[in-house]
Amino acid sequence: MVITGSVIMVMPGSDVVVEEKLRSFPQVTCHAKSNSGMDMIVNVEADNHHELESLCQKIKDDIPEIIDIGHVYINFEEEIQKIESGTWQNYYNLND
Amino acid sequence: MDLTRREMIKLSAASFAAAALNMSLPRNSSADEEIVVDKWVKGTCRFCGTGCGIYAGVRNGQLVGIRGNPKAATNFGFLCVKGFKGYMSMYHPDRLKYPMIRSEDDKFHRVSWDDALSKVTNKFKELHQKFGKDSVAFYGSGQCMTEESYTFNKLWKGGLRSNMVEGNPRLCMASAVGGYITTFGADEPAGSYADIEKAKTLFIVGSNMAECHPILFRRVARHKLQDPDNVNIIVCEPRLTPTARIADIWLPADPGTDLAVFHCMARELIKNNWTDSWYIENLCRFSTGAKVVDFNAYKQFLEQFTPEAVEKITRCPGANIKEAARLFGSQCPTMSLWTMGLNQRTRGVWANNLMHNLHLISGNICKEGADSFSITGQPNACGGVRETGSLCQLLPGTRAITDAAARADVEKSWKIPAGSIDPKPGFHTMEMFAKLGAEDDTSKPLKAMLVSTTNPAQSLPNAPKYYKGMKDAFLVVLDIFPTRTTQLADVILPAAFIYEKGGVYGCSERRSQLTQKCVEPPGEAKADLWIAAQIAKRMGLEKLIPWNGDDAPTSYKMAWDDYRECVKLTEHTLFGITYDRLTQMEEGLQWPCPNDKSPGTSRRYVRGHDPLMNMPDIVKVPSSALIYFYGDKQHEGKANVFLRPYKGPEEPPDKDYPFFLTTGRVIEQWHSGTMTMRVPEIARSKPNAYIEINPSDAKEYGIKEGDMVKISSRRGFNIMPARIVKNSLPGILFVPWFDQTWDRMINRVTIDAFDEGSKQPEFKICAVKIERVGDPKDVADMYIISDVNTPFPLKI
Repeated sequence: MVITGSVIMVMPGSDVVVEEKLRSFPQVTCHAKSNSGMDMIVNVEADNHHELESLCQKIKDDIPEIIDIGHVYINFEEEIQKIESGTWQNYYNLND
Repeated sequence: MDLTRREMIKLSAASFAAAALNMSLPRNSSADEEIVVDKWVKGTCRFCGTGCGIYAGVRNGQLVGIRGNPKAATNFGFLCVKGFKGYMSMYHPDRLKYPMIRSEDDKFHRVSWDDALSKVTNKFKELHQKFGKDSVAFYGSGQCMTEESYTFNKLWKGGLRSNMVEGNPRLCMASAVGGYITTFGADEPAGSYADIEKAKTLFIVGSNMAECHPILFRRVARHKLQDPDNVNIIVCEPRLTPTARIADIWLPADPGTDLAVFHCMARELIKNNWTDSWYIENLCRFSTGAKVVDFNAYKQFLEQFTPEAVEKITRCPGANIKEAARLFGSQCPTMSLWTMGLNQRTRGVWANNLMHNLHLISGNICKEGADSFSITGQPNACGGVRETGSLCQLLPGTRAITDAAARADVEKSWKIPAGSIDPKPGFHTMEMFAKLGAEDDTSKPLKAMLVSTTNPAQSLPNAPKYYKGMKDAFLVVLDIFPTRTTQLADVILPAAFIYEKGGVYGCSERRSQLTQKCVEPPGEAKADLWIAAQIAKRMGLEKLIPWNGDDAPTSYKMAWDDYRECVKLTEHTLFGITYDRLTQMEEGLQWPCPNDKSPGTSRRYVRGHDPLMNMPDIVKVPSSALIYFYGDKQHEGKANVFLRPYKGPEEPPDKDYPFFLTTGRVIEQWHSGTMTMRVPEIARSKPNAYIEINPSDAKEYGIKEGDMVKISSRRGFNIMPARIVKNSLPGILFVPWFDQTWDRMINRVTIDAFDEGSKQPEFKICAVKIERVGDPKDVADMYIISDVNTPFPLKI
């Protein structure tokens, strides 16, 4: 599971519309927005990094008012466990 | 993961994002503790030249996460995919963990450090005895830590008395250095990234920032979007890149023709009185390069560059150039940003000069929001190589090695006898590799090379031309993974990753930032600084390089302090940038920073901002001067506005090779892919190189999406899948250069012609032809060289 802390940058004046459209993406949780309304603080959740990238692309494609989705933090819970358990070899083999 | 824990992680992650915007969330109490690490260690990203601040999360002695540092002045907490994921290559099973020597069976075998270092130093000594002090070269990298580049430079120039010192910034930044030095008399920009948010017009040239410097691009895009009617973006670039898509004005000039565009813009600025007469009178010296002329001569010179004439040369619409000039000169302040499109050229220095011309005559420099700013490609090309003088013609502080006073100053600092440093520059990179070869080859004066943190067998232009020399010479490689270069090596020394050793990086805006050591390197891998110091010790130079202990932080601090002292009384002084301050400060410090009270310098050459304006022991500035280019060799405080003649690329298309080929990076991959291709998610997203072709060209050649295409130059060929895209103009092809697969290593095709001044090669432009050779084929093999004993694909 991958969980991000991200900033969605939107066109000026489109924050309400974007918030409404984001409701169709249950993987996205909105927390707050800036005074200008152009930056929205969100989480994006996905099964893995690959899916995260695809999801973000789909969000941008479906909501043209979104300029960019910038990640500030990504939590790689399962990968951390793999590092700690020393199973990185498996990580690479499984994914290759 | 139960719901509570998941919710807490979400809140915590959102808190990090909010901090990047200086916001707080309503419910973030105690959330930070929920992302469980033993400690967060401050550092910098090790990829592009932006210098993003990060925190590395460490748990049980292993790196388990990276997050952006919201207080960093460069990235405000944001990171790109490379920044987040690139570190994971640290744990890849291919990591080089033990020293290895190639044996008589032509295979690498594990040896002890003692044996490996003895082999290296005994051979170096033998070659010095047989062939002289200049028979052994060092080839470093803009990814080495500053302390490492400084140490190798000191070892070679001060200890071995040889100037055979180069680094891969020659391939990416040398023209920017040449441009700054010939125009201003001193290297690196006057301003800072902070000017981006103050500019009303941003002129982006030869830079696909959106992919190559995505966090800086985010600042540009955000600035534009906050005031779209009053912030203007001009992009001069032959491809309609993601960067060009946000532009108000796109200047699609053919590769290598933009000198004419810049001259045309200058003509328009003057013609429409969008110039600054005070700057022209007080800060500009007009020069042909051979002699000083006056402003009228410059005006007359520019008359040949009418919009109509320039459109014919460049294919760039004249109306676009006129509008770009209007925005540049009338919607001020204006900041220009550029990277390799301007530098990797046979006329790279001139292109840099002409950018500076525009800023000088229009008064768009040394003001808030106004600067002529070269963005560096690698994380430490500026701090590590340019500033420490780790190129064949330089000394620490970017001083010329031909300057007797500079040599004397460095000799005094290094406590070596006067006259020790050879005044003659060594070989530049392309000459170095051309003259590297076997002991019995009298045409090759270089017999050995130590390569650190770079992969020239893949990154040199026209690379196959240089393989025999690398193979025949005694080649020592310090790296973390097997590469095309280790395949040609005699000795491999396993190095530590940035977070396994720490050290200072200096980014594009003269900002030094300290990364603290987070974890131990794997196996017997060692910090590069330890390796350099051990070589010095075994060559009898322990006094010169005394930081040879096993504790990396102590050794790196010793090297940094030695460097600070060495450049204390130079224009590049960073004497006030101590490890203590860098440890305490979230955002690092910008030089000039002459003492430990100095806050650093965000804007050079301006009284009230630049401390050197009042430091006559370093530079002499008249007390009445508000702006003064103190690097001016004429001591007039002026910058040179050059009347450079138009000259196109070395190898323009012709009937046999009718296409321009240009090369570059993509957002996911870094350089030759040795790290990023080892992160599965990154590798999957860009698993192989491809050739971008305009639909009209594809139609003419019968090429469909995914078809296999042979791309050939006069030097070599590649075979790779086609991508039919409108963002490449007709006649222009693009190939990214990260792929290690032999068939798709595009530097088998590129040209090794180089700029006469900067010696930087023309990676960006050569003439090629294409032909369809097959139906679509799955080549998404994410190829990496996993085994050091994988044979080199070419019989040498």
